[in-house]
Amino acid sequence: MVVASTPVSTPDTESVTDAAEAIAPDRPWRTIVWNDPVNLMSYVTYVFRSYFGYSEQKARTLMLQVHHEGRSAVSHGSREQMEVDVQAMHSFGLWATLAQDGD
Amino acid sequence: MRAFVRRRGAFVAEVSPDERTILARVVADTCELLGTPISREAPDGAARPSGDGADPLAFLTWSADGIATPSDPALARLLPDASVTDEEVSAEFRRLTEADLRETKAARLRMVWAALQAPGDEVRVSPEHAMDWAGALNDVRLVVAERLGIRTEEDAEELHEALGSPRTGQQSRHSERDEIREALGMLYSALTWLQESLLQVMLPTLDR
Repeated sequence: MVVASTPVSTPDTESVTDAAEAIAPDRPWRTIVWNDPVNLMSYVTYVFRSYFGYSEQKARTLMLQVHHEGRSAVSHGSREQMEVDVQAMHSFGLWATLAQDGD
Repeated sequence: MRAFVRRRGAFVAEVSPDERTILARVVADTCELLGTPISREAPDGAARPSGDGADPLAFLTWSADGIATPSDPALARLLPDASVTDEEVSAEFRRLTEADLRETKAARLRMVWAALQAPGDEVRVSPEHAMDWAGALNDVRLVVAERLGIRTEEDAEELHEALGSPRTGQQSRHSERDEIREALGMLYSALTWLQESLLQVMLPTLDR
């Protein structure tokens, strides 16, 4: 968000799934938020607190994880719920993706 | 421009008429990028930056059946892919959500644009609309950042340093392209500063 140096415009695809894994129905999904050089730390923290209802400490921890590690899994659940969360993150201008656990 | 402060239950900033004209223009450009032009009677005060004859916030139409990643990288920042590994997941997500996302973003840009048309210097934001304002400013920043080529933290730092250092060399050797970039950079900085000041009054309200 402000000082890391990792390019984030092309998220790596180190965890490319194979077809058999991609359709496993029983593994939970997660919402991943990626770092970018535009979104303010204060804004990302506000979104995590107001949308997910996370405590200040949890929101800040996740925000810093995004900032320092390039991404963070911010919620877990069914694919449908994660689609709702990803859509919300996109509506706020955060770059979020869906992934199935184990991918 | 003066930072947002909390005043009588609202968040209030001061934005001069000239600044309003520029902000309203870039808000309208972002809305247009999303496929929903705000108004043909947009204020005409500010010069529209144009590099190589092209509007940096060029208009792009869209149709409901377009489910591919937008080819304009600025629009792709507003409507990113929902999966980095699975094109089918991204396409399905786009089909389900893109129209809603475009409308959500356009609606709050229209609200900000309308507020900037009001006379006077004061911009009043009610707490219930604060997130819409922050989101709209964020979308405009995403578009301007993409036009400036800010894709890494280093790019952002370079811009910050370039704006902070006095211009060197002859004024006449400063190309038109440089000037457009500098103007866009200053706009980006102002938007960042305004959004941050809004967040600083919004964050304490979460503790109540």
